[in-house]
Amino acid sequence: MTLTPSHSALFYDGQSAAGRTGQVEAAGGVLFFVAEDQRYGPFLPEDIRHLGSAPGTQIYGHKGRDGWRLRIDEPIPEAIVELLPAVERYGGWIDRLGLAKASGLFLACSALVMLVILTVPEWLAPLIPHSVERNIGAAMVGDFGGRYCRGKKGQAALAALTRKLDKGSAKAPERIDVMVADIDMINAVALPGGQIIIFRGLIDEARSPDEVAGVLAHEIGHVRERHVMKAMLRQLGLSVLLSGSDIGATAGGILSLGYSRDAEGEADAFSIARLENARISPAATADFFDRLAEERGETPGWVNYMVTHPQSAARRNAFRRSERKTANYRSALDADEWNALRNICPSREND
Amino acid sequence: MDEKEVRADSAFGFDGSWREFAPIAFTNLLLTLVTLGIYRFWAIRRERQYLWSRTRFIDDRLEWTGTGLELLIGSVIVLIGLGVPFLIVNFGVQALALRGYPGVAALVSLAMVVLVFYLVGVARFRMLRYRLGRTYWHGIRGGSDDQGFSYGLLYMAKTALGYLPMGLMVPWAMVSLWNDRWQKLSFGNQRFRCDAEFSPIMWRYVAIYLAPMAILIFLVVVGFTLLASGAIGPDMGQDELAGPGTIFAFMIVAGIYIILPLFWLFYYAAFLRLVIGELQLGGLDFAFDARSKQWFGLIFGDIALVVGTLGIGWIFLSYRHWKFFITHMQAYGEVDLLDLHQSETRRAGHGEGLFEALDVGGL
Repeated sequence: MTLTPSHSALFYDGQSAAGRTGQVEAAGGVLFFVAEDQRYGPFLPEDIRHLGSAPGTQIYGHKGRDGWRLRIDEPIPEAIVELLPAVERYGGWIDRLGLAKASGLFLACSALVMLVILTVPEWLAPLIPHSVERNIGAAMVGDFGGRYCRGKKGQAALAALTRKLDKGSAKAPERIDVMVADIDMINAVALPGGQIIIFRGLIDEARSPDEVAGVLAHEIGHVRERHVMKAMLRQLGLSVLLSGSDIGATAGGILSLGYSRDAEGEADAFSIARLENARISPAATADFFDRLAEERGETPGWVNYMVTHPQSAARRNAFRRSERKTANYRSALDADEWNALRNICPSREND
Repeated sequence: MDEKEVRADSAFGFDGSWREFAPIAFTNLLLTLVTLGIYRFWAIRRERQYLWSRTRFIDDRLEWTGTGLELLIGSVIVLIGLGVPFLIVNFGVQALALRGYPGVAALVSLAMVVLVFYLVGVARFRMLRYRLGRTYWHGIRGGSDDQGFSYGLLYMAKTALGYLPMGLMVPWAMVSLWNDRWQKLSFGNQRFRCDAEFSPIMWRYVAIYLAPMAILIFLVVVGFTLLASGAIGPDMGQDELAGPGTIFAFMIVAGIYIILPLFWLFYYAAFLRLVIGELQLGGLDFAFDARSKQWFGLIFGDIALVVGTLGIGWIFLSYRHWKFFITHMQAYGEVDLLDLHQSETRRAGHGEGLFEALDVGGL
């Protein structure tokens, strides 16, 4: 006579609150519950789930029956355990791997995710199509509240200068538009989409077109080296992509874009190379930067450039050192063009 | 013999210990950290599974059968179903405002606020429904046939009415909403009944209502006394003002962040005692006997624990709060197990996503 493995348990059928005490039995690969007057089952192992534990018991449920419970007293004999699902401790496959291995795996995945998120500016910026960038740039400033200076001759001069400085980038798909904004700040900024804005204050402060050329070449460098989108993503996160208009038309918002030191260095190198290419003296630009660094002007406008384009003496000197004594430098703009540029904005009363 | 007579001090019991809870809490913390927070749904399940299984009601233990997955699904549904539309509407409002329709933008913003207000009520009810629905006792679970959408409207209406007369009808609103919630809930085939009246706690509410004014008057009096006694004066230098100034600032901060919440606890303790005391299920009457002093003990104990362990103790707070709750819960009357059948209410599909998202308070 074979002894059917059985063990003490408490049973709820899921319909009534009255529980039955009795024995759980394993027979023929299925489970039965035997109370004093009744036999319940068979219950198939694949229908049984481990739900939890209480002191001294393990609790099992049934997939199809709400409230069905088998509470089996510990320790459960082997013959019955093999028909029951494993005790769940942490949930799911963490139990199969073990806590240490699973934690290690999760840690690796999390580290990877964090890495991806932290480098978003680097890998996402190049993926953004030019048209989207342009839209973002346009949405950011719109028409700058109507403050673009529309002097035709000045714009022509500016466009000519831009072409001169941008010659090496013939294959680049992005168009560069340079505008002057009638705002009394000494600054220039590159927006997403190839739009560069030079503020009137800078034109007024510059003593020669060569100085403007250096600054412009620097900003073109940011565009051509694709720094702009990266800087925006770094500073403002992904929200910038989702809400271009959120930044508003405040110049301050745009101007607070910080470029990494590498980016500034690259833009400088670009500028120096382009100036060289266009046979424009880099010394003027160095002088301009020196002046801005030393001057304590009465107008607050001066401080803007140095704040948003932090410069070390080394960077200024790089411009100075790139000057070649034997080079045949020409002025960036001829006298007419320079005059036109200086008058690109409508004159004001105290001019 | 399936009738159970319930003696007041033995109806509810908790026999867990923080030593048993600690490994669960710490492994939860570990797994939650290495998964950047995703594991927290399963962590909640493990916590509740332990706490419920160490809770005894009359002659059987409670059982928690919620899963981590359904909590996750609940959160994802809320994120996608509500979070994304909200984001979109947000930008729509900004665009409207920028393009010169500020009136429409304001209306849409207002509509969003009202919607969130409504959803807070819905969330609170659905959280209760979910938790009751996953709690088993004698193989029987709780639940509700109500989805919570009509409760949300009641919540909006009564809360507004409560605050309208300068906040003086808040006790009525709180008690009335409690009744509304519990009258829609059931355990097994028995419905909860609750018909509490707010008047017993009204004087406590008035006391805490006047508290901020009392504190303000106190501070003003202190200020004037300092001025009059010459300890501070209008032509004192900054350095001389620093001392009494700091003390004064500290008193203000203490007043707002410590004294006022303690006053609120004083009222809330009475509120809970009242409303739980009127709660009934079948032949059972419930009661909650925690007094304000014990609530203060709980809160200060929490603070001491967290501060003393430099933050780690925070993982034990759920244990402390559940133990507090069960220790002070009582029940009287009788339960006839033959009369108690399985609930016919629909099982909630997923858990608490809205509740979590809106960060609504419990119970």
